[in-house]
Amino acid sequence: MPLSKRLVPYLLLGPGLLILVFFFVVPMYFMGELALREGTLTTGYTFNWAWSNFPDSLSGHTDQILRSFYYAGIATLLALLIAYPLAYAIAFRSGRYKTLLLFAVVAPFFTTYLIRTIAWKTILSDSSPVVDVLQALSLAPAEGRVLATPGAVIAGLTYNFLPFMILPLYANLERLDLRLVEAAKDLYSSSRIAFLRVTLPLTMPGIVAGVLLTFIPAFGDYINAQLLGGTGQAMVGNVIQSLYLNQRDYPEAAALSFLMMALILGIVLIYIRLAGTGAFMETDEREEAA
Amino acid sequence: MQKTNERRTLAAVAAAVAAIVVAVGLAACGGTTGGGNDSEVSVAKGGPVKGQLTISNWPGYIDPGKNGTVAEFEDKTGVSVDYIEDVNDNNTFFGKMQPLLEQGESGGRSIMVVTDWMAKQMWDLGYLQEIDHNDLPTVFANLSPSLESPSFDPKRQFAIPWQSGMTGLWVDKSKAPGIKSVNDIFDPKYKGKITVLEEMRDTVPLVMKGEGVDPEEATNEDWLKSIDKIKSAAQSGQIRAFTGNNYTEELTAGNIVAAIGWSGDASIVQNKNAEWRMPTEGCVLWSDNMVIPVGAPNVGAAFGWMDFVYEPEVAAGLTEYITYVSPVDGVKDLLLKSSPELANDPLVFPSEEFQKNCSTQDSPPDVEEVSDAWAEAVTG
Amino acid sequence: MTAVESSWGWLRHHAMQIYAVLAVLYMLIPIAVIIVFSFAATPKGRLTFAIDEGFTTEYWSSAFSLPDLNEALVTSLKLAAASTVIATAIGTLMALALVRHTFRGRYISNLLIILPMATPEVVIGASLLSLFIYYTFSLGFETLLIAHVTFSISFVVVVVRSRLIGFDRHLEEAAADLGATPFGTFRYVTLPLLAPGIMAAALLAFALSIDDFVISNFNSGTTVTFPLYVYGVSLRGIPVQVNVLATMLFALTVIAAIAVLVQQRRAERLAGTT
Repeated sequence: MPLSKRLVPYLLLGPGLLILVFFFVVPMYFMGELALREGTLTTGYTFNWAWSNFPDSLSGHTDQILRSFYYAGIATLLALLIAYPLAYAIAFRSGRYKTLLLFAVVAPFFTTYLIRTIAWKTILSDSSPVVDVLQALSLAPAEGRVLATPGAVIAGLTYNFLPFMILPLYANLERLDLRLVEAAKDLYSSSRIAFLRVTLPLTMPGIVAGVLLTFIPAFGDYINAQLLGGTGQAMVGNVIQSLYLNQRDYPEAAALSFLMMALILGIVLIYIRLAGTGAFMETDEREEAA
Repeated sequence: MQKTNERRTLAAVAAAVAAIVVAVGLAACGGTTGGGNDSEVSVAKGGPVKGQLTISNWPGYIDPGKNGTVAEFEDKTGVSVDYIEDVNDNNTFFGKMQPLLEQGESGGRSIMVVTDWMAKQMWDLGYLQEIDHNDLPTVFANLSPSLESPSFDPKRQFAIPWQSGMTGLWVDKSKAPGIKSVNDIFDPKYKGKITVLEEMRDTVPLVMKGEGVDPEEATNEDWLKSIDKIKSAAQSGQIRAFTGNNYTEELTAGNIVAAIGWSGDASIVQNKNAEWRMPTEGCVLWSDNMVIPVGAPNVGAAFGWMDFVYEPEVAAGLTEYITYVSPVDGVKDLLLKSSPELANDPLVFPSEEFQKNCSTQDSPPDVEEVSDAWAEAVTG
Repeated sequence: MTAVESSWGWLRHHAMQIYAVLAVLYMLIPIAVIIVFSFAATPKGRLTFAIDEGFTTEYWSSAFSLPDLNEALVTSLKLAAASTVIATAIGTLMALALVRHTFRGRYISNLLIILPMATPEVVIGASLLSLFIYYTFSLGFETLLIAHVTFSISFVVVVVRSRLIGFDRHLEEAAADLGATPFGTFRYVTLPLLAPGIMAAALLAFALSIDDFVISNFNSGTTVTFPLYVYGVSLRGIPVQVNVLATMLFALTVIAAIAVLVQQRRAERLAGTT
């Protein structure tokens, strides 16, 4: 290949990679360095190879970490259950209204995360008629409240990250060749089996992408816990924010942040391994085969 | 020869780790960072009252609009004021500002308004400029005598009071008329319907008073004991949430029957049945102060603003809207004619008698230890 | 077939559509609340949690009467527009490189692009702040822009990439066969066909930027964006005008979507396909 042609990918990638290196990787380095310091605001943060910050921050906050897994996990599952049929319907059963429905899914995004969550806080406040209805339907404890409970936080997480689940699912479903499903049915399989054996596996990359794009931000979120939760619903994000801004314990905050990232990366890598790498490191298979 | 994806990941991670270890090793020569600004404390240098002025204050602390104090000041002096309400919590604001102040920068701000103890903390770290009394004639002529020499800034070198207030109990009369003492909030019949302030120096001293301890003389153990009590109440669900300014929302929405809150918030709480009560044990007194940070631009205009808001007519206008305790002498007399209910409101013009059991806000003996314990209780 | 049977059959047949409509309605519930409350009469112009005093349109007529709110909204729009243009351009180029070319360092590039999406916002925000402080960048619009572009690029790449993968290369080959230069092919064949993907990526980048709170909170200095403004006032009572403006924003996007839809239909009709 002539030199100019070989340079092309690097030129295309250049600006983006530079930005990512300077404004993502380098800050991570600074944060890593901070994690190895100890001290307080008044005495200064001395660099000390303080590896103990890592296990300390982990052991001091296991409750919140586990809670974050639990909340984000359930929220992701709920989001998947809600989003899959919706994405399917938009892709195949909406006819002329496809764009409109897609738009209706993305539109709430434009009214700011905070306002949406505060709106939910209004809807679910103790004296609202909605809560009365939920209690009548036994979806909420009769004597209790909806806000300031784990349920409210999970509901908030599910709602706020639903578009992150719907869009990848939709993008993937749209490319599904329905003729394959038809072929399965022609071969005398039932709708259910056709779904399980044909549709589901083919849409797995979309599911993988959706689950990851939903779980990861949900895990690190703190707004929902702050607005919709009460005492006892704090998540890892709340802890990091508190460590950073309230206690000014920067080393511990940095250490915990790193651990969070490592945890998430670990989950991502394991999950991709189990579900197939094609999903995330997508390349054009035809290109590779060529 | 094709490396599998797995090996590639390992290779990438190994390279990254190696790079980080090398870089961090180099940085080890970096030594200590932070620990406050060690340079000489500078005295704020005044100047002409013109140009641009940026002020950071708490929300709800100024009368807005075309007839408001800011507009009045702009008209009178020609200074263009950028008034930002980004102080929602002392700690959070400090956390945001600290990296800047450490470098001697204020992010463009000439005045910040923070509570007593935070002002002292910033001063101790070298983040504030000293104020020469000669630069603020109106302020020191009209400053209320009770505020002339507080324990945290006896010579008033760095903190000029903006407004004062009291921390006590907000109660929804229709739902919990019986709440009169701090200890009542731990009564199980109000379980899940109580919020307390996230600010440690507001909530814990009140609870200590409920235990019969004088916060101004309290030991570390006293603090820790009360924090434990609060922590258990949070874990059992007795306390619904730790709040900042937003306890007013919870009261308005009817989600709670009582909250630890501030005396001047009557205009914010939109629940006709809610009222602020002085706890039987007394309240916690505090002031929010204007301070001049290091690196503040246009100190001349800042001084102009401070003197302006200490003129009794201007101060009266502020009090009418904010309904907190004004630090300016003579405001009550002015308001007796135009707003008599306000002038006679003990929450806005508290008498010595009214405040006799109140304590000032103080920091615990071992701030680190107590703060850590408190943080644990809050982010349980 | 009895009426019951046939209506039951209709239900079953359209179950998917009904579900879709219900799900979408669920997604729009908070929007409905926002719109309704923008007409709420409140004593001090701040939202309460119930409609106690009836409805009014006064906040609609005074929608732009809060200068801080207007400034925050304008700042957010400017920031989102700038960040979208930059991130979409850079991200599209990156996607092209990653999908169309083989080169060394491809795997690491992929990893680097995925990483920001795997990092919680709290971490990105705090670490960026440390960087800006260390290099004494003064915090403000520029630092916000850098932060927004940084976290948007990854999303743009992923969206454009997924569109590129299903791309039919034969069209480009045909253009080349007919004598088009590589640049010409790119301009007249690739780009238009890629357009929906780029549009989708741009839309996502815009939404992410205008919605961002956590990262902006750490890196904004004295600049106030719309979410930061809402956070500030939410603690003391949200002015009703916030709901009004939010409704307007939403209405604008509705109109934009309908316009796109109408244009699409018209294009289809002109092309003879429906």
